[in-house]
Amino acid sequence: MSLIEQLTALGADGLASIAAADSAAALDAARVDLLGKKGRLTGILRGLGALPADERPAVGAAANRVRTAIEDALTTRKAALDAAALDAQLAAGTLDITLPGRARPIGAQHLISRIRDEIVEVFCGIGYTVAEGPEVELDFYNFTALNHEPQHPARSASDTFYVVDRSTDAETWTGPEPSDVLMRTHTSPVQIRTMEHTKPPIYILAPGKVYRRDVPDPTHLPQFTQMEGLVVDRDVTFADLRGTLDYLCREIFGSQVRTRFRPHFFPFTEPSAEVDVSCNVCGGTGCRTCKGTGWIEILGCGMVDPNVFAAVGLDPEEWSGFAFGLGIDRIAALRYDLPDIRMLVEGDMRFLRQF
Amino acid sequence: MKVSLNWMKELLPGLAAFTADLPALCDRLDMTGTGVEGITNTGAALDRVVVGQITDKVKHPNADTLWVTTVDVGQDEPLQIVCGAQNFNAGDKVPVALVGASLPNGVTIKKSKLRGEVSCGMNCSARELGLGDDADGILILPEDAPVGMAFGDYRGISDTILDLEITPNRPDCLSMRGLAREFSTVLGIDDAVLPPVQVNEVGGSIHDAATVTVAEPELCPRYTARLIRNVKIGPSPAWLAERVQAAGARSINNVVDITNYIMFLTGQPLHAFDYDRIAKGDDGRAQVIIRRAHAGETITTLDDQLRRLTPANQLITDPSGPITLAGVMGAENTEVKDDTVNIFLEAAVFQPEITSRTSRGFALLSEASLRYERGVDIEQVLDAQTRACALMAELCGGEVAPDVIDVYPTVHQRPTITLRGSRVQALIGERIARETCEAMLTGLGLTVQAAPTPKAFDVTIPAFRPDLTREVDLIEELLRLHGMERIQATMPRTAHAGGLSPRQRLRARLETVLRAGGLNETMTLPFADPADGERFGLTDENAGAAARLHNPMASDASELRRLLITNLLHSVALNLSRGTRNVALYEVGAVFTATEGRKQPKEAEHIAAVLTGSWDKTRWNEPERALDFYDAKGILELVVRELAVNRFQLKVADPARLPFLQPGRAADIVIAGQTVGFIGELHPALAAQLEIDQPVAVLEFATKPLLAAARDSRGFVEPSRFPGIDLDIALVVDESVQAGTLVERLLSAGKKTPLARVRLFDVYRGAGIAEGKKSLALTLSYRAQDRTLTAQEIEPIHERIVQKAAASVGAELRS
Repeated sequence: MSLIEQLTALGADGLASIAAADSAAALDAARVDLLGKKGRLTGILRGLGALPADERPAVGAAANRVRTAIEDALTTRKAALDAAALDAQLAAGTLDITLPGRARPIGAQHLISRIRDEIVEVFCGIGYTVAEGPEVELDFYNFTALNHEPQHPARSASDTFYVVDRSTDAETWTGPEPSDVLMRTHTSPVQIRTMEHTKPPIYILAPGKVYRRDVPDPTHLPQFTQMEGLVVDRDVTFADLRGTLDYLCREIFGSQVRTRFRPHFFPFTEPSAEVDVSCNVCGGTGCRTCKGTGWIEILGCGMVDPNVFAAVGLDPEEWSGFAFGLGIDRIAALRYDLPDIRMLVEGDMRFLRQF
Repeated sequence: MKVSLNWMKELLPGLAAFTADLPALCDRLDMTGTGVEGITNTGAALDRVVVGQITDKVKHPNADTLWVTTVDVGQDEPLQIVCGAQNFNAGDKVPVALVGASLPNGVTIKKSKLRGEVSCGMNCSARELGLGDDADGILILPEDAPVGMAFGDYRGISDTILDLEITPNRPDCLSMRGLAREFSTVLGIDDAVLPPVQVNEVGGSIHDAATVTVAEPELCPRYTARLIRNVKIGPSPAWLAERVQAAGARSINNVVDITNYIMFLTGQPLHAFDYDRIAKGDDGRAQVIIRRAHAGETITTLDDQLRRLTPANQLITDPSGPITLAGVMGAENTEVKDDTVNIFLEAAVFQPEITSRTSRGFALLSEASLRYERGVDIEQVLDAQTRACALMAELCGGEVAPDVIDVYPTVHQRPTITLRGSRVQALIGERIARETCEAMLTGLGLTVQAAPTPKAFDVTIPAFRPDLTREVDLIEELLRLHGMERIQATMPRTAHAGGLSPRQRLRARLETVLRAGGLNETMTLPFADPADGERFGLTDENAGAAARLHNPMASDASELRRLLITNLLHSVALNLSRGTRNVALYEVGAVFTATEGRKQPKEAEHIAAVLTGSWDKTRWNEPERALDFYDAKGILELVVRELAVNRFQLKVADPARLPFLQPGRAADIVIAGQTVGFIGELHPALAAQLEIDQPVAVLEFATKPLLAAARDSRGFVEPSRFPGIDLDIALVVDESVQAGTLVERLLSAGKKTPLARVRLFDVYRGAGIAEGKKSLALTLSYRAQDRTLTAQEIEPIHERIVQKAAASVGAELRS
């Protein structure tokens, strides 16, 4: 067998062994067998020098062809084996993407705070700031400065929580109520505190907890969360109050909502009104939520009473203003149809985590 | 206030045009300030019951005891009705329930077949209509009963009762008379005119029979009395009973019903005394004195309760003592009874405040006390008195004695208010025509005259509108009658900036971090149980004195909370009791402490958190791990990081100060040297008392000092672009050595060297480590800003640092 024939046979055999290699190791063995230091092709190539000079070019060219073919086959086969190995590895690594993700569970905001923040945002957008005040108040701020008559029923110890006065005043106290220190019954005292220390124009919102002596039941709690609004400026009118609350109601309940202002009475505003929004459940045709009226009462409001201005030393001829108050718990109860508002203060994780 | 529309239509004939569309009427009332809270139709159960006439009567072909009747009910075709009664004849008028009628006994009438004969209704007995017990046969009506008329209308038992919400500023609307005025104004119809009454006076003057003395006229500005002799107490006539029942009162007897009727009509409460049971003075005359109660005096009120009185109560008395709690409730000793002959009739005005306090103090709210609390029309007292006397004469056969006792020392002066057109527009934002204003005010019963100043009115206010004292009160009347709905909405015109304050924004961010840390916001009530104070070991020294309530709703809610975690831990117990073992809650809320000499308790906003169980038991790829101290600390560290809180540290707490925490697992949160709160694990003994059966980590701090320590930025160090070298060490130390101390010592020893960071990554106790010791494993990271560090360069430095630090805490390098 001539050397060229040998080379051709080796080439064919080598390509077959490369094609048969089914793993990186087998392929490497084939490479060593052919091209390694002691490889068969290497052996032949090494023997080239001993050939007669006239045979060398032909044999050399044949040897190079075979080597190139083998090297190409090795590269191709290696790529195929690598691709197959990667496929197998990827197949083995398939995840069940429905298994839960891995993070510490994020906490939920209380639904009352959520609604409070929503309303605060609406008003911050139209130039209001947020004012705060103490929850234990003095009669002056909670009632007297807000134009409540001395015998106003809300003052009675059956309606309002009174706190023990630890000052010397307590010894000389003769008022009909147990003291003049109380748990605020509304957020309106923040109006007075703000007007006392801030010069108009005033555009404030005062969210906060308030307290009344209601026995807890599915629709009552001794604590609820209110939102007070107060505007004092020059030339503020009832029409401005309407516009502002229309805006609020649309932002909170949607652009389709209609409002209606019913004249009412509050000691600290005159004129006063209650505001209804069209029922979001039935759209105003009447249903269980709105008790068939098509309307849901949502806030109380009015123009600041001149007596309130007098209590804080503002001239009602120079300044006018409006105030409004709404119950956040009520909006929460409406929005979520809560069967029992005591859930709001229980801290049941299953309840809290829904919001 | 319950308003019978039948009664109101009698007062206001023009109202009839509005009652057909009841929803529209109610809407008009709602939108002018008289809220309609309820509508009741009396006789509603008799809808679709009409007067019918039996035109033919034949035996039922298939039943001996039944009749097939033909009944004319005023429709085009007569009805065929099968009937089992025997007591009627063709031609009789009877009540017929039409198909669809729903009777008071619950029966609904349907078209049916009775033994093969069609029956389209039912001829009714009195019992079936709820009109009595007579079930023997059908109710035969008089011959003149109009065929086809609604039976309820025919019998006058159909009425619509509106339940109106009368706001406290409108005492005038607590009467039919006042409401008639309001209705006529808002509907634009003629106002009611009550016919004048005449009283025939008989016998001796009241002045020879009684005297009245008012001790404090400011508490009783007007007191009138009349004497009616020889009344016959008996049941009221049907019309009177119906009126007082429609208004919500019970019919008692003719005299009491008259006083109630006049009160509902005019708003003036009246009280009838049995004249003969009033004690007489030395001159033989009944001696009535209106005065404050003496301390300790008692009265037995009509509800048979002995009431102990104080000078804050006003009484009607006779020489023997109290005979009425003025304006609130009568006494048993002078009550009108069946054998009463002579009536001493009181119509008075009492001061709202003392009446209100007395009635509310004794929880004796009555129709009379309600009206006194709101204010009674002092100008109308005699008119009401006279009307009642006339009715007593008419309905009880009484003889009204001549003359009236009228103690009225200061006659009411009607105030006049100037109303400027400019103010109307300035307040409501719209102009209302002068003529419209004048018409509306006049309609309300006010007297309107042009004022000396241009574009203004002088408005004189009658006593029945005590709420109208200022110009703004008149503007309110104009606005509500004009219609708030008609005001075109605008927005305030001045430019003004708003938004949260920096502190409020910071607090919102703080809360976001708490939630990101896994805590759920909750809220609890601010009331605290004194027993909890004891359980938690709270003292005046460690928690401040508790602020107490005068009038708590329960003894376990008689204080204000000094800490938030007390109530939060009750929420933990509630969750556990409901099978929720993983609880992570936080609350932002006020806490209160009383200070001797201070009026109000000190109030501070706190933030507290409770953590128990594990983060998530549904973790499928990690072992469940119980939450502990370090989870709470981790959240606190998130806050410190996000708000860049300056000089934050935890310090081992004195157990006496935090007795509710497990000793050894309790720390003070210290910011800039000031203790602002605590963190730790709940004391197991306390947990057991609170019915909590697993460890709970808690933390609580005051918001204000924490936010005050927050920084806008923490400064900037340029990160090195060159790799550093991390070297791990393990040091064996006594248990008492804190990891934090060791880290501090290492950092301090590495000052002015490339040591950039020390991180603890393991704490080991057990095999190979002696009892009372622990091994702390740490990574020391070395970095240089300007070059890549080499091992040869760092190793000697590292050795020096470790040795110095180890020596300072008595540590041994673990090999």
